[in-house]
Amino acid sequence: MSQSKWIWGLTIGGTLLLVLAPLKLQSQPYIMHIAIVAFFYAILASSWSLLAGYAGQFSFGHMAFMAIGAYSTGLYGKFVRLTTAPTHICKEIPLGKYWLVIMNIYGNNCLEAGKANMPVGTLIYRLPAFQGIILGALMGGLFGLLVGVLVLRLRAAYLALFTIGFSEIVRVALNAEIKVTDGPNGLELAPLFPRGVHILGYSFAPTDKLPPYYVMLLLFLLSMGIMHWLSISRFGLFIRSIREDEEAAAALGVHIIRYKVLVFVITSMIAAAAGAVEAHYIGVITPNILLILQMSLVIAMAVIGGLESLLGAAIGAIIIEFALEFLRTSFTIGSVTVDMTTWRLVFFGLLLMITLRFWTSGLIHPLIQRVTRAGVAEETVAKRKAAEG
Amino acid sequence: MKKKLLLISLMIMILALTLPAVTVLAAPPTQSGGQDYVIVADDWLSKLADKFLGDILSYPAITYYTNQKNAEDSSYAKIKNSDEIEVGWKVYIPSKEEADAYFKKQVSNVGAAGGIKIGALAPLSAPGSVTGGTAMKAAFEIALDEINAAGGVLGKPVQLVLVDTEGLPERGTAAMERLINQDKVVGVVGEYHSAVGLTAKEVAHANHMPTIFAETWNDKITSVEYPEVFRIAPVSSEVAGVDAHFIQSLGVKSVVIMTENTGYGIPAAEETTKRLADLGISATTFSADLGTQEFSSIIERIKAANPDLILVLLTGETSYNFEEQAAEAGIGPQDVKMICNQVADDSDSFWTNVPDGKNCFYRRVGLPRALYTDATKAFVAKYTEKTGKTSAESYAMEAYDSLKLMAQAINEAKSTDPDAIISALEHISYNGALGTITFPYGTHNPIPAGTDAKWWHQFPKPAITMVQYQEKGQSSADAAVVFPDAYKTADPILP
Amino acid sequence: MEHAYYFWWALLWIIGWGAVGGIVTPRIYSKKDLDVSQAALAGTAIGAAGGPFALAPLWYLTPRLNWKWVVVPGVVILAIFAASFAAADPNNLCVTNGPFVATQVTNGLIVGIIYGLMALGLTLIFSIVGIVSFAHGEFYMIGGMAVYYFTVVWFPGMSPFWGILLAAALTFALGAAFELLFLRVMNTGKVERPDEYAILVTFGLSFFLQYFTLALVGANPKKVQRFLDFPAFGLPSANHPTVLKVTSSTVNLFNTISISSPRLTAALMSLVLLGLLLWFLQKTWLGKALRAVSQDRAAAVTGINPDTMNTLAFGIGTMLAGLAGAALVQVFSWVPWVGTLASARGFVIIVLGGMGSLPGAFIGGLIVGVVEALGAGCVPDPQRAAAYIPAYGMVILTLVLLLKPTGLFGREL
Repeated sequence: MSQSKWIWGLTIGGTLLLVLAPLKLQSQPYIMHIAIVAFFYAILASSWSLLAGYAGQFSFGHMAFMAIGAYSTGLYGKFVRLTTAPTHICKEIPLGKYWLVIMNIYGNNCLEAGKANMPVGTLIYRLPAFQGIILGALMGGLFGLLVGVLVLRLRAAYLALFTIGFSEIVRVALNAEIKVTDGPNGLELAPLFPRGVHILGYSFAPTDKLPPYYVMLLLFLLSMGIMHWLSISRFGLFIRSIREDEEAAAALGVHIIRYKVLVFVITSMIAAAAGAVEAHYIGVITPNILLILQMSLVIAMAVIGGLESLLGAAIGAIIIEFALEFLRTSFTIGSVTVDMTTWRLVFFGLLLMITLRFWTSGLIHPLIQRVTRAGVAEETVAKRKAAEG
Repeated sequence: MKKKLLLISLMIMILALTLPAVTVLAAPPTQSGGQDYVIVADDWLSKLADKFLGDILSYPAITYYTNQKNAEDSSYAKIKNSDEIEVGWKVYIPSKEEADAYFKKQVSNVGAAGGIKIGALAPLSAPGSVTGGTAMKAAFEIALDEINAAGGVLGKPVQLVLVDTEGLPERGTAAMERLINQDKVVGVVGEYHSAVGLTAKEVAHANHMPTIFAETWNDKITSVEYPEVFRIAPVSSEVAGVDAHFIQSLGVKSVVIMTENTGYGIPAAEETTKRLADLGISATTFSADLGTQEFSSIIERIKAANPDLILVLLTGETSYNFEEQAAEAGIGPQDVKMICNQVADDSDSFWTNVPDGKNCFYRRVGLPRALYTDATKAFVAKYTEKTGKTSAESYAMEAYDSLKLMAQAINEAKSTDPDAIISALEHISYNGALGTITFPYGTHNPIPAGTDAKWWHQFPKPAITMVQYQEKGQSSADAAVVFPDAYKTADPILP
Repeated sequence: MEHAYYFWWALLWIIGWGAVGGIVTPRIYSKKDLDVSQAALAGTAIGAAGGPFALAPLWYLTPRLNWKWVVVPGVVILAIFAASFAAADPNNLCVTNGPFVATQVTNGLIVGIIYGLMALGLTLIFSIVGIVSFAHGEFYMIGGMAVYYFTVVWFPGMSPFWGILLAAALTFALGAAFELLFLRVMNTGKVERPDEYAILVTFGLSFFLQYFTLALVGANPKKVQRFLDFPAFGLPSANHPTVLKVTSSTVNLFNTISISSPRLTAALMSLVLLGLLLWFLQKTWLGKALRAVSQDRAAAVTGINPDTMNTLAFGIGTMLAGLAGAALVQVFSWVPWVGTLASARGFVIIVLGGMGSLPGAFIGGLIVGVVEALGAGCVPDPQRAAAYIPAYGMVILTLVLLLKPTGLFGREL
């Protein structure tokens, strides 16, 4: 068995495990909840590791793109409706028998006022969450493009500083523009499936964890697939060559800026899509998601998992999310009670520093390598034996 | 070899996951002896319980047995919510023995794990208000000790599961999920931030979990009229009313409101502005992010606006920064009338951070000192001893009361059934640190037309007073009460 | 804003023509085979200031560009900005009230001096160790906490002077220890990508220090009594203090500008420290050695050990942050997360001033102080003015990175 077969085996096994896990966990919504959030962080950590580990672009603005995705779909849900009759007051676009109504942001709600102009029996639809999620991903990509074009010429430290700044501006604006974003109270979003899911004779309520679990899992697998494909393709080779030696890569004809911007756009879109799904799942999104602490978590997950390994970062994120949840309980050693709510973050920061210092490739990545390499070694031994025999 | 091991373990894991989750449920007591009954107009389950079983609070037994019957025979109704029954439904009214057996089973179920679990929410790490959360934690611990010293609830010791909400709404959802599904608590108490309360109440409603919010002021928490949600904190809009009337009593014409950019600050400032406008007083609002340190620019603007009074709706260290810098710039409480933030009630912390804070007014929730009940005095004594503070903050009292209230409700319900607890809470009369807590409006007594929905399951009379530090370094326990007249101990000192 | 459109149109003019000038000018200059090093910046400035009326002659004549071609249009842009603001909001205090503006600017300068001290440490570290420390704000926080614990909790009654000295020693020791344990490895060649490693490891340190402090000291805000109680007096006389009036808590100039005394103490302290630092760098052997290393790491041949210099520089840098914190713990209430905003501000300042430039950090500090003060003082909507404080600095950062990434005094990258 070759190494790649091992990886495939593991991947398929792991995927099956994740797909079938709800059969066992369905009765424990809390575990399901953590699992969904863990996938969310896994998407963020692995896409950040593609950006930072593979392409060498240390962006601290990943959460900002995530928030842009989440707020795009949130605002889409808040301000856009489909109706079967025109309001004559709002901005509206006729689409055959329907009208796409865009509500005004300031002033009175024009849809409410416009109801007077609508005949009895008019239907008003909220547009499906999936449109919003796609819109969110596109907006994330658009902002990624803008930021990418502006700053990717900068050196590592400048890029880090600028993206922190970008993230902060986004946070402050989301906080202050209360009329649009509902400010610090958070923007409320409809559930992923407002009417629940009815499939194969089973019914799931809108609050049921199973449908969002599979949606987030699907997004996770999809983005892992895309990123993996990118990393092994010519594209991946190019971006790694940029990381190793920008000038040499340029000399060899790699259009550096174009590739840097492209990887920035792709990872931003992935982060934005994850943010949009997460926001619909939680039901509310607040600007506090942009606090530097949240970004630290994602970075730490990627570093501890293995900065240069998508799978490592993803597994690291899942393990850390579960660990942080379960470490909340305080414990007592002798007469000293350790209040884990704060201390867990202290240990976590320490772990991050020590991992960086002594295990540059993270803690999970080497494990994956060991397992897969073990197969290779075994095979080599077998071959030799065969040769001897 | 390794390969095989790995494959086998993988297979086992997958198999383990596919096995159906088998849980053996204790057989319910099914001996007959009760009767069928068809609902007529004006029936309430609790009324039926009173009539047939002699106890208003035993209606959950009716719900339980009817749903049991429904599983076998669909002519019986399926009761999803004990408050919503319809005329024509066939229900099963159990015999007295059956009802007793049901309640015993309820108790033994929760007792099996060693005690009855009550969940608590509090912000214990940033960006939440850690000061508030830590105080609430201490208060919960005192309440827990008292409950267990008195024999626990339903004869079982109480276990408190305290979860950190970090002041984040999304964490509030997760924390409630965890308490309900993981820890299997029978009720939830606490929380400090309105933003968290707003999302937590949704989870409480979806899971039918009795919840008593301690310090979340936002009107919407009760005005949605969820049967599970109770609150002992004051309602934000009422507090704004008290502020406005106090400001009017000082003969003020123009006010500057310095508020925080949060789910508490923005609506509070809007409501106060509205109330002040009704009284003919003009108000300008400045807002700042929590964590802002440098206020000198804003203070100059406030100075230029030359208000008669400054109302500070910033909380935590941000309020201290503003108040002290205002004093240093010459518009402090000794120069202009200033209502400092209620966090000033922690007098040690206040005087450390705002040494020029003499003559600050601040709003205090909870009984004035002169009206302290024995329960209040006992709690304050324990709390000050435990924390080393000189008095107990309102949110500490609320946290203490919320837990003890929940314990009393479970005892009175004689069950941990959510409907029974909710019913017990609706009928409760509890004497605690905040005074006598009751919830006048609820399913048993719907809100009359014309009364605001915010009074649903709301403790109507948390005492709100305005006090003033009239000497430098004064303890909050000695601060003079200056408003309303009913509680007044001294005249306000005005600049 | 009564006539907001004046302002927004002017802004659109500035941005639009600035972009046109910035993009087109270098192309024209390179087509004509001229020096393009200043073309983008000067083109932006001239375009933003004069629009097509200035760009057309520029593109036609293509004069040799130097710094004057940036500064003069820069002043014009500021004038357009101010004029359109005044036209848009004629009743704004920043337009009608001279003393108000003077007070805001003074406050901004005073606070800016202290910001500068903190940024000085950051830029010193960058110029010698070659990294941006993301944990700088945490050392600032620890400096303040240390003064509180030394002078209030552990040794009540200790003079603030000794408290500050101990805080400086503590932050120096912490910084030097961190450098030895975590950063020295960068020079051994064992770390594959040292720049990124430094970013991440200091980031981890900031996370660790913040939560470690929170776990140890809790979240209750702390504050130290003002270090100096000024004696009350007035100029020309105590009864008619028309020029200067000093009370224990405020210093009042010309009856219009008032500065709180703790703030003034902190600013004076910062100036003294700045002087000491300059003396140290210019006159002592160690200081000269540090500067030698910052210019050329090959200074090793002259008998200077660059590793030792790195440790020393990192320690001094963190000490400066600690001292800034020590100076401000009597001005602001202190909690374990005060460092977050402070370090973001430090980044803005050093990018503005030019990474690695000491005078740049100081002047950058003043500019950021004034911009924040004017921003919070002049934005008409009172609900937004203060809420956007963290964003004002970030706007500067963005502009500098876009237009002149080397900052005001930076070396070419």
